Amino acid sequence: MKIADISMRDAFFDALYDIARQDDRVMLLTGDFGAPSLDKFRTDLSRQYINAGVAEQNMVTIAAGLALSGKIVYIYSIAPFVTLRCFEQIKLDLCCMKLHVTAVGVGAGYSYSTSGPTHHATEDAAVMRILPGMTVYNPSDNIMVAAFAGMSYRDPGPKYIRLDREKFPLRYEEKHDFSDGLALLKRGKDMTIIASGMMVHQAFKVTEELLKHSIDAAIVDLYRLSPVNDNLLLQVMGKNKPVVTLAEDLVAGGIGSIVAEVMADNGCQSRLKRLGTENQYVFQYASRECLHSHLGLDVASITTGILRWLQ
Amino acid sequence: MTIGDQIIPFSPVPDTELSAIAKQLRRDIVTMISTAGSGHPGGSLSAVEIITALYFKIMRHCPSEPGWIERDRFILSKGHAAPALYAALAESGYFPVSELATLRKLGSRLQGHADRTATPGVEMSSGSLGQGLSFGVGTALAAGLNNKKYRVYVLIGGGECNEGQVWEAAMSAYHFKLDNMVAFIDHNELQLDGTNHDIMNIEPLGEKWSAFGWHTIEIDGHNFNEILSSLEEAKNIKGQPTAIVAHTIKGKGISYMENKVEFHGKAPNPEETKKALQELA
Repeated sequence: MKIADISMRDAFFDALYDIARQDDRVMLLTGDFGAPSLDKFRTDLSRQYINAGVAEQNMVTIAAGLALSGKIVYIYSIAPFVTLRCFEQIKLDLCCMKLHVTAVGVGAGYSYSTSGPTHHATEDAAVMRILPGMTVYNPSDNIMVAAFAGMSYRDPGPKYIRLDREKFPLRYEEKHDFSDGLALLKRGKDMTIIASGMMVHQAFKVTEELLKHSIDAAIVDLYRLSPVNDNLLLQVMGKNKPVVTLAEDLVAGGIGSIVAEVMADNGCQSRLKRLGTENQYVFQYASRECLHSHLGLDVASITTGILRWLQ
Repeated sequence: MTIGDQIIPFSPVPDTELSAIAKQLRRDIVTMISTAGSGHPGGSLSAVEIITALYFKIMRHCPSEPGWIERDRFILSKGHAAPALYAALAESGYFPVSELATLRKLGSRLQGHADRTATPGVEMSSGSLGQGLSFGVGTALAAGLNNKKYRVYVLIGGGECNEGQVWEAAMSAYHFKLDNMVAFIDHNELQLDGTNHDIMNIEPLGEKWSAFGWHTIEIDGHNFNEILSSLEEAKNIKGQPTAIVAHTIKGKGISYMENKVEFHGKAPNPEETKKALQELA
């Protein structure tokens, strides 16, 4: 199957499988979590695969012990479970000891839309990005996901890769260099939308709507949330153009905060509007589209909100 | 030591010397905590015989090559007992004994809780309780995967057994059949704010470890014969990890500290230090 036709999870684990076949130091630990793309790992590379059971804290610290014994370790579960549940273990056992362990979380934002706040990942990126030494990737397409498998293998240090459950159109060419941390995907003279993950795709729909109102918006994909490439971000935002950040995550701490921090630290005077989930948990059990409508994150609401804000 | 590329492991001392070494470690612990003006004497002193037996008798290790890949691993999960570990590392040759006087000083490699990125011989940075056993599981799993014969020793506090992660790790060590792994539980029956019994009852502790699938031995944690024979027994256990519930006395060796919860995290004053060193002479 083509890479565009598979899930982010399968794109990641297919790429990781190819790496692990070449290097038996690569270990994959899951928190009692399976997937068809993991099956070949557990059958073909059984000595490199461990199901650590429903015990994420233990899994993180086991990963630390393996990493200090020469292994390159990946730990995998649903996004909040592999981050928030074991946050202190990630801080102390991965970041303080600067270990080559990558946490892979599936279910970015409202991927698990019908599962409630237990499974929604709306704070994970915000808390992971503040950890010293932690690299946080929030991919928007499968080309990027496969590249992150390789980058996380090659680059030492702790990392968090946050995968969506949906399939998205490809936005990047094969062999794109993702070391910049962000990309200007669409130019626009009137304003800039900075988005990440699935919201990059929402941003394309929003810009089409804005164009009907003669607003030409640029789109920036901020796919590495930490460390942020400040200089490039300031450069692509342009001078004095209004900036809107777009994420499903809680507004506090998320990409809106990242952009606000970069602007404040660099004396950037542009207007900034941060769109995302306002200070609440979502107890609606519905499709992602329904949740977006409920939260004002559907294309129409975002477009209306931006137009009103620009006036 | 090393000769050329060859690693010469630390030579185990005769059993008859262990008590004297333990006494020296206690002097080091009291002196360094007193000099620092803060630290955790009680839980450091209760673990002295266990740590002495491991570093001076049981473990294959090489102080001049802390990263020797074949070394047995000691993981101090109860990180506040770092002074006991530092004393053993210094006295066995990882760094000069004189460096112990820098405990908790700005710029020192010997901080209040051990930092593996700074201190030679420290396997794991610890200080937040409950995590060392999981780290030991990863280290012991790696031995099997890397075809290494090293053994893994983890020291856990009795109060630390309040932490849920200890039991996640206990479950997994049994599940993975890690017979290259030993957990010592320094069961001094006191924790920061009182007795285990009053704060959070962990009994029956030995039965809990047994129920989690561990080969469990209960010993007097200050008796070298019992420590050494339990470790010999552990080496012969196949297919399951061994838990050694070591009944100990918090503050052991210093009359006014023994079984006193207030010396969990308080340094002795100069007068108390003098008295302690007289008792340890």
